Amino acid sequence: MLKGAEIFLKCLRAEGVELVFGYPGGAIMPLYDALDGSGIRHILTRHEQGAIFAAEGHARATGQVGVAIATSGPGATNLVTGIADAKMDSVPLVCITGQVRSALIGTDAFQETDVFGLTLSLTKWSRLVRSIDEIPEVVAEGFYWAREGRPGPVVIDIPTDFLKAKMEFSGPVKFAPKPRPSDGKADGTFADRLIALLQTAQKPVALVGAGAKLSGAVPELRALLDELNIPAFATVHGLGAVSPDAPYYLGMVGMHGTRAANMALHENDLLLVFGARLDDRVTGDPTRFAPNSKIVHFEIDPAQLDRVRQCELPIVGDLAQTIPAFANKIRGAKLPDWSAWRAVACGEDRGELDPRGLSQPTIRFLDELFGRAPKGSVILADVGQHQMWAAQRYCSDSPRGFITSGGLGSMGFALPAAVGVQLSKPDATVVCVSGDGGFQMNIQELATVRRLNLPIKMVIIDNKYLGMVRQWQQLFYQRNYAETDLSDNPDFVEISKAYRINAVRINEDVMREYPVTQETAGVLEKFLRSPEPELLVFDCAPEANVYPMVPAGAALSEMLFEEE
Amino acid sequence: MHAFHIHYRNTQGTFMRILTAVSRRGIEMPYVLASASGHAHRADLLLDVNAKQIGQLCRDWHAIVDVIDVRVGVPTPEMLESATGFSSAHPPASAGATGRSASAAMA
Repeated sequence: MLKGAEIFLKCLRAEGVELVFGYPGGAIMPLYDALDGSGIRHILTRHEQGAIFAAEGHARATGQVGVAIATSGPGATNLVTGIADAKMDSVPLVCITGQVRSALIGTDAFQETDVFGLTLSLTKWSRLVRSIDEIPEVVAEGFYWAREGRPGPVVIDIPTDFLKAKMEFSGPVKFAPKPRPSDGKADGTFADRLIALLQTAQKPVALVGAGAKLSGAVPELRALLDELNIPAFATVHGLGAVSPDAPYYLGMVGMHGTRAANMALHENDLLLVFGARLDDRVTGDPTRFAPNSKIVHFEIDPAQLDRVRQCELPIVGDLAQTIPAFANKIRGAKLPDWSAWRAVACGEDRGELDPRGLSQPTIRFLDELFGRAPKGSVILADVGQHQMWAAQRYCSDSPRGFITSGGLGSMGFALPAAVGVQLSKPDATVVCVSGDGGFQMNIQELATVRRLNLPIKMVIIDNKYLGMVRQWQQLFYQRNYAETDLSDNPDFVEISKAYRINAVRINEDVMREYPVTQETAGVLEKFLRSPEPELLVFDCAPEANVYPMVPAGAALSEMLFEEE
Repeated sequence: MHAFHIHYRNTQGTFMRILTAVSRRGIEMPYVLASASGHAHRADLLLDVNAKQIGQLCRDWHAIVDVIDVRVGVPTPEMLESATGFSSAHPPASAGATGRSASAAMA
């Protein structure tokens, strides 16, 4: 006879779980009581939101399912932002929440919350466990749906009495879904139709999203793009899927994308989309998005098709299968000469993002930092101006080398996510770039970093504002900087020292030297090579802006480029 | 008005997921009927939606793991009649100690 908690943990082990992130509390205590000897390492964060973002970091860095544990009531509600974040960014996640005793459910008992109900619209699948017997099936099915197709978050809510109860356990089970007759998958004929579309296209382009990376199809995608040799660009989550050295690669697309990428996306007549949702940050005004384009959409999730407008050729299926199927057909096909279009789209007048004005030192700083980071480094960005600067300057070809909260845009994501990344990749240099606003949203995780001695390289781009909001206030609200002034920030260097973490501050003026002085280079080298956690505060101009910028509601061709 | 017929496995929360796909868009649901249908369940909804919303809803419903099939059709007379049958709010009134309704007692 085993306790429900022991059975639960054995089922987690059967799913390959070795690392979980959480925060204990009353209803989940039986699970914590059984952790010792389970073969599962638990990472205590200092807030449940830190736990779920750390689990996301682990999942995003490895492709494995992240696991977050919290107690009932406030523990569970503190997970909600992370659940929504994982849903938007297709992160495989299993959240385990303790629930009050089954006999008390529905009585407004102490720390009772309907976590099942409140996460219904945020989860891919969820269960309130109704008996100890259900545990093996629920865990197996939960992990199946977290991984299957377009990955996503799952919630398993388990009353505390089922964790304490005992039963005979015959071992973990496997879940096999019932097929759905309406599940359509692309057959081999799509390749011929796509070749026909290419043969009549004059300005084809490729847009690469996260799906290309999640499917593990990056080598196949790169080979296909080499074969097609058409202008290509990536969403923020697609960064790293296309080699930045490829001559046809135009960088990031969207609200803060490069001029070259946005213009090519606006002007093309055939758009090949590889695993992207085409959300509003990518399309700009959807009614003026790619006005002359026919859309061909490679996508695993049919729910993502036709969101902007009806696509000419939907290709539903795992990109790891559909891309090679197409690549095999394309090799013998006669395709038009697109060199004239390529010359326009990749031309020098469009090709280089030219940082000017107040933002220049910050961009230069990121170039100096990223350029010195060892190969295989992982860059995390929080949410705001620094996120877009970091995405613009990210230049690695590592598919899982740039991690950020893209869809939900959750401030406070990066620091705890870096904990999960560093634990998953202990030998990698993990650089966590935050703003002064977002860093304070989960600043308590400095204690986790210190406790585990994780050598995370934390950077705060400190402009003493909620910078992105302030930028919008400057550009679209007549400089009414309502409640975005953070000039009374604490001294981050002193705070870091209180957590016994080394910290250094540099001012943006050091980035006006060409090249940077040996002293500055030494500070950056020491920061990156240290075996300890390190914090670097970069003081930058309060009114630096991110450019290019497509204003909300504008077409991609209507970018802003300069300071006022 | 469009009628939607959604076949689903009646697992925990599936019917609620079907409904929240509608409610998150602020669309009113004048008619909803859920019932057993063969080995599965079926939800019939009557919604006043445009072509874009139809596409969004069908895709959202299909993304629910226990939804088997989604169909769009023309409303039946019964659906339309039921939809107009409850035009005014009808809160339950509970009797107080004096026999007056709760709302009257509170006033």
